[in-house]
Amino acid sequence: MIVDSLIVDRGVSAGDAWITVASENARDALSALKGDGYQLLVFLTCVDHLADQSRDWPARYELLYQLRNLETREQLRVRAFVDGDPPRIDSVSDLFPPANWDERETYDMFGIVFTGHPDLTRILMPDDWVGHPLRRDYPVGGEVVEFSEEHEAWRTAPEKA
Amino acid sequence: MADGAGESVSSEIGQGITIAKTGEPGAFGGELLTINFGPHHPSTHGVLRLIVDLDGEQVRRLKPVIGYLHTGIEKQAEALRWQQVVVVTDRHDYLSPPINNLAYALAVERLLGVDVPPRAEALRVIMSELTRLSSHLVWLGTSGIELGASTMLMYCFRERDTILDMNEEISGFRMHTSYIRPGGVMADATPRFLEMLDRFIAKMPSNIDEYEDLLTMNPIFRSRTIGIGRLPAEDAKVLGATGPMLRGSGVAWDLRRSMPYSGYENYDFEVATSDLCDCYGRYLVRIKEMREAVKILRQALDRLPDGPVNIDDRKVLPPPREELETSMEAVIHHFKLFTEGYTVPPGDVYVAVESGRGENGCYVVSDGTHKPRRVKFRAASFVNLQPLERMAMNHMVADMVAIIGTADAVLGDVDR
Repeated sequence: MIVDSLIVDRGVSAGDAWITVASENARDALSALKGDGYQLLVFLTCVDHLADQSRDWPARYELLYQLRNLETREQLRVRAFVDGDPPRIDSVSDLFPPANWDERETYDMFGIVFTGHPDLTRILMPDDWVGHPLRRDYPVGGEVVEFSEEHEAWRTAPEKA
Repeated sequence: MADGAGESVSSEIGQGITIAKTGEPGAFGGELLTINFGPHHPSTHGVLRLIVDLDGEQVRRLKPVIGYLHTGIEKQAEALRWQQVVVVTDRHDYLSPPINNLAYALAVERLLGVDVPPRAEALRVIMSELTRLSSHLVWLGTSGIELGASTMLMYCFRERDTILDMNEEISGFRMHTSYIRPGGVMADATPRFLEMLDRFIAKMPSNIDEYEDLLTMNPIFRSRTIGIGRLPAEDAKVLGATGPMLRGSGVAWDLRRSMPYSGYENYDFEVATSDLCDCYGRYLVRIKEMREAVKILRQALDRLPDGPVNIDDRKVLPPPREELETSMEAVIHHFKLFTEGYTVPPGDVYVAVESGRGENGCYVVSDGTHKPRRVKFRAASFVNLQPLERMAMNHMVADMVAIIGTADAVLGDVDR
């Protein structure tokens, strides 16, 4: 059973129920929710709120865990906000096996470090890649085009970041 | 061949593995041998690389290495306006573009709080089911080739081409249709499209019989798939498999039935399952799904309602072409939409649809501007690759071809 003291905030966004938990309690909360019947982690991802004016965000990175109860077909989104360099949160790959690759992808794309992950390596980008492409301060088209005419990087400035 | 496979699920699976150390002994007195399977192996359906530890010819450990087809689609989506993102959704799971369009369109519509007219919903169902058929046909054809039935590809691509002709008729494109858009569909179905569809639906059941004549009782195909790549229902659920991978393990979970969208609750169809839990079971599920798709198409065509195919909201969709010549307001709306697009209220939403491969979802975050803050594609193939180690364990290296084939991963979808 998830206890109310773990839940910082709750609400509904466009019909999807969500709760927010403190990042240090995220693993406990997810483990309790798994016990409540949310057996499937549909996906896990991150949103970078750098320069996001839509509201006052508690931290730059928002981690999202979409859970589903296969019996009642209920869905629940768990949010946890993290900051820091590098941002850290506990891994849940032992609770939910599909989280293994999702956490590697989130590490690869956002540089979130999942403490306790068995194999936290890049998954989509090459192993020697520098930077985390889905961060908002990473420019689009920022990679060096090898053997291009100018032998130069085509760089565009990030949008108001 | 299948002895020892499919016993108990190990907690190690999916948790990252180490590659064989030099001289690590195997069960047959030899050493474990680490080989690369792919990325350029033709049976890996693109560029999937598997690092395999072999003991003799049996697979002891397996680690998929992905990312060779990564094109940064999620990053591109953040740099495009809301209506432009439709075009990149076509390109991640490149065998089922309209289904990907649908997930994105439904997500944006949920954030905007709009509902599309009934005719648009029916056309979306028609396009989704045609896509499911064409995607399964590619799977069936290529799997046939890999398992020694090279005629299959000829038969399957004959029907697939008819579907691509229909795509061309309705949207102007054969593959990346971008047909389903937030607020409706690109254009109404032409009378010729409906005729083609009618002929296709009449002919398709006998074509599926033909495929079954070639494969279902084919002794070579059966001996290469029955008992191979077992994935018990419990493991499939724990490892997050969806689509034919899950239904091939006997779990009747289909988003069209379990969490209906776009009016699927109004159609009468069966959720195909098989209790065999092996490659042959997944084959039977896909064949059954093709038959059910034809049934849905028939119902959708017979009950196709009249009316508009787009919402009547000039802030989201451009006015009809003819209005531009008579109405100043229409010109302004047109100009605004194509120069700065529209804004979407802040919030986030997750919409999942059933593609040919499983749950293809779209998670969209809006910060209230004219571009999405984040678009995340929950790719069925990405998750369905993770049980690969479980399925291939203790099988011969030659069986890997059947196992990868019936997992039906599209590498564009895996790597996005």
